Amino acid sequence: MEDIRMRPISIAGKRQPVRLHGRVKSRVQRGLVYGAAALTFAVLLFLISYILVRGVPNLKPSLFSWTYSSENVSMVPAIITTVEMTLLALLLAVPFGLFTAIYLNEYAARGNKLVNIIRITTETLSGIPSIVYGLFGMLFFVTYLHWGYSMASGAMTLAIMILPLIMRTAEEALMSVPDSFREASFGLGAGRLRTVFRIVLPSAMPGILSGIILSIGRIVGETAALIFTAGTMAQIPSLLQSGRTLAIHMYVLSGEGLHMNEAYATAVVLLIVVLLMNALSALVAKRLTKK
Amino acid sequence: MKKLVSALLAGALLCGALAGCGSSTTQTPAANGAGNEATAMSGAITVISREDGSGTRGAFVELTGVEEKNAEGKKVDNTTADAEVVNKTDVVLTSVSGNEKAIGYVSLGALNNTVKAVKVDGTEATTDNVKSGAYTLARPFNIATKGTPTGLAADFLNFVLSKDGQAVVVDNKYIEVNDAAAAFVSDGSTGKISIGGSSSVSPVMEKLIEAYKALNPNAQIDLQTSDSTAGMTGAMDGTFDIGMASRELKDSESAELTGTAIALDGIAVIINPANTVDSLTTEQIKEIYVGNVTDWAELAA
Amino acid sequence: MHGVFFVCALVSILAVVLICVFLFANGVPAMQKIGLDNFLLGTTWKPGNDLYGILPMILGSVYITAGAIVVGVPIGLLTAIFMAFYCPKRIYGFLKPCTELLAGIPSIVYGFFGMVIIVPLIRDIAAFFGRDISGSSILAASILLGIMILPTIIGVSEAALRAVPGSYYEGSVAMGATHERAVFSVVLPAAKSGVLASIVLGIGRAIGETMAVIMVAGNQPRVTGDMLKGIRTMTANIVTEMGYAADLHREALIATGVVLFVFILIINLSFSVLKRRKD
Repeated sequence: MEDIRMRPISIAGKRQPVRLHGRVKSRVQRGLVYGAAALTFAVLLFLISYILVRGVPNLKPSLFSWTYSSENVSMVPAIITTVEMTLLALLLAVPFGLFTAIYLNEYAARGNKLVNIIRITTETLSGIPSIVYGLFGMLFFVTYLHWGYSMASGAMTLAIMILPLIMRTAEEALMSVPDSFREASFGLGAGRLRTVFRIVLPSAMPGILSGIILSIGRIVGETAALIFTAGTMAQIPSLLQSGRTLAIHMYVLSGEGLHMNEAYATAVVLLIVVLLMNALSALVAKRLTKK
Repeated sequence: MKKLVSALLAGALLCGALAGCGSSTTQTPAANGAGNEATAMSGAITVISREDGSGTRGAFVELTGVEEKNAEGKKVDNTTADAEVVNKTDVVLTSVSGNEKAIGYVSLGALNNTVKAVKVDGTEATTDNVKSGAYTLARPFNIATKGTPTGLAADFLNFVLSKDGQAVVVDNKYIEVNDAAAAFVSDGSTGKISIGGSSSVSPVMEKLIEAYKALNPNAQIDLQTSDSTAGMTGAMDGTFDIGMASRELKDSESAELTGTAIALDGIAVIINPANTVDSLTTEQIKEIYVGNVTDWAELAA
Repeated sequence: MHGVFFVCALVSILAVVLICVFLFANGVPAMQKIGLDNFLLGTTWKPGNDLYGILPMILGSVYITAGAIVVGVPIGLLTAIFMAFYCPKRIYGFLKPCTELLAGIPSIVYGFFGMVIIVPLIRDIAAFFGRDISGSSILAASILLGIMILPTIIGVSEAALRAVPGSYYEGSVAMGATHERAVFSVVLPAAKSGVLASIVLGIGRAIGETMAVIMVAGNQPRVTGDMLKGIRTMTANIVTEMGYAADLHREALIATGVVLFVFILIINLSFSVLKRRKD
């Protein structure tokens, strides 16, 4: 990922005879770029410090007891549930999303009408609000399939929810792999499958990974879709039991205004969990690319 | 042109973030109203309401007369269309504590010192006044079962209504329904039941379940937090063995379910601590929520 | 192996179809009962009185999403350019995980942030100019959503910018372009498809956001064109009332979801038409 980065060549503007107008425009553009970046990171810094200031003083050891009770409002079961839920949903969605993207981009004939329709539908799906996924999950998995409020119902709902996101970003990543890579691979006698797994996938890995990271973000931060499917039990759940993720834990704690401090402490832990999961997926991707 | 606009926006947002930084450190609500401590409150009222169908809203509009029967005898909730609608208690609290001119309502058990509860018709909102009946804005917490409960559900229900269960209710700032109940003896039922519904009832239910489990360790009780109507629907379709509602059961619900009041809760009408008003009549509250009174100055007259 | 990929594509489509069928089967009958005109163009939403007009909510979603795009896209895109072409390598390793972290912050945290910081700020500024408002408004929701879509815009746009072959940039600089000119006039147009995708994803996130919007938008179901007044979005309408709704009310809310769905369909279609025409 790093090697395609281009270093700014700031002297270029001074050496070359550029029209005055162009130079002013360049300066304005540069100013805008730096301004926007500064703004983004100022907001980000402010948000994170807001969470830390409100949350860190409330991090007490009792919040990390192994079992939850209304006295200690421990978040340990919620942390484990969050990791479990994320892994389950990714396990379900990533293979399907990735393979679909591979089919659309590598196997199906380019310009195929059906493929176009599938593309538009998936784009559309990525815009359906999570609450609608939640309702669908409740009616289909919880009620129709009798799975009840459970990890399975929640993970399936989330998997469907992130599927379009993974499909779309993976496809974009595959598309950006230059055709010359494929041609060279075919030219050396590799088959289509070998080309896909050995050549195309590794080069597309950063893009695929950014899709997975975005998905992790959505899963970890999701509340609306999970309340109706995974329930709100504070326990370490098995597949067919109800459990609450950290975001839902926070939602429940803050809801009645009784445990606001603990809710902010949960937000801090949530940030750490997101950081760890992102780091982990970056590590995994690096391994995969190296191979 | 587009770039200019975006640059301006960027600047404005940055100023905003910085100013926000400053104001968040000085959270004294009176800071902005410095000039008018002695004068009567004035300015447009920000009316904050819970969402349609919330147990708290249902009880509030019924008790204050915001809900009235129309010409056809059908009950209509007349809450003004200009009222901000929020769907959680903490959002009401945060909105009111951050806005001098706001008014809202929350469960008495959720009241904290970031807001001020007004006297209603001259009576302070306290648990004692709710119990004596002097404070009129009160509602029951109900649980409902389909048919007659058996086994563990029945044992748990006995516990809730016993002296021990009601003591838990009182400990959590709610009001007991029966102060002469007998002590509880568990019949040792085992098994698993699930309880679900109103988020207002959930905190006290959680305490009840823990207290019960201490007496009967073989019991397994799941608690799902959502809302009153979902609790009743769940009890009807069998998702929950016991449903919770923070309001009276609707006719369609009581046709299928047996409801039992387990506690009483007051509804506190809250305003910002910087607001000089400290007492309102039920009629005034109604006028505010219907939208006939829109400025605090009108109340002074 | 070809078969496996094909089956996967089919499963994905099956999920898509399942949701479509569920949505339309539940939503369309309500539209028929209420009457398409009354439903889409009615300005009064009073389920208690059997009045189901969702025009206020449609306008609410449109205003707030447009506002979020105006706030979020320029800033996000410029930041993506910064990340790809300006950011010193030393701090890149720190900034990149930061933007990813922004995506992982749950919406309720954003909601609280908006409620405690943005809303009072707008109230105070408006009071300074002599307007007495609560601050929960279209503007507050737009700014908040603009911030929330930043990680999506930055992440996808940056990937697209990096995917442009290095020779584009080098060629352009070799021909005498400044760094800025090479980036803005050569690399950026070449990454158009990815940038558009990021905007579509951003619109999707903005229009579908619920938990945060509910806390700062005021949620009044009425028609208003005033940026400083509150409004209710379609998602807020669904999420606040779905728990309690029964019968026609419930179906009307699912129908609101269908309208939302159709909206996103229209946006996506026009984007792909636009894309094809430019190609």
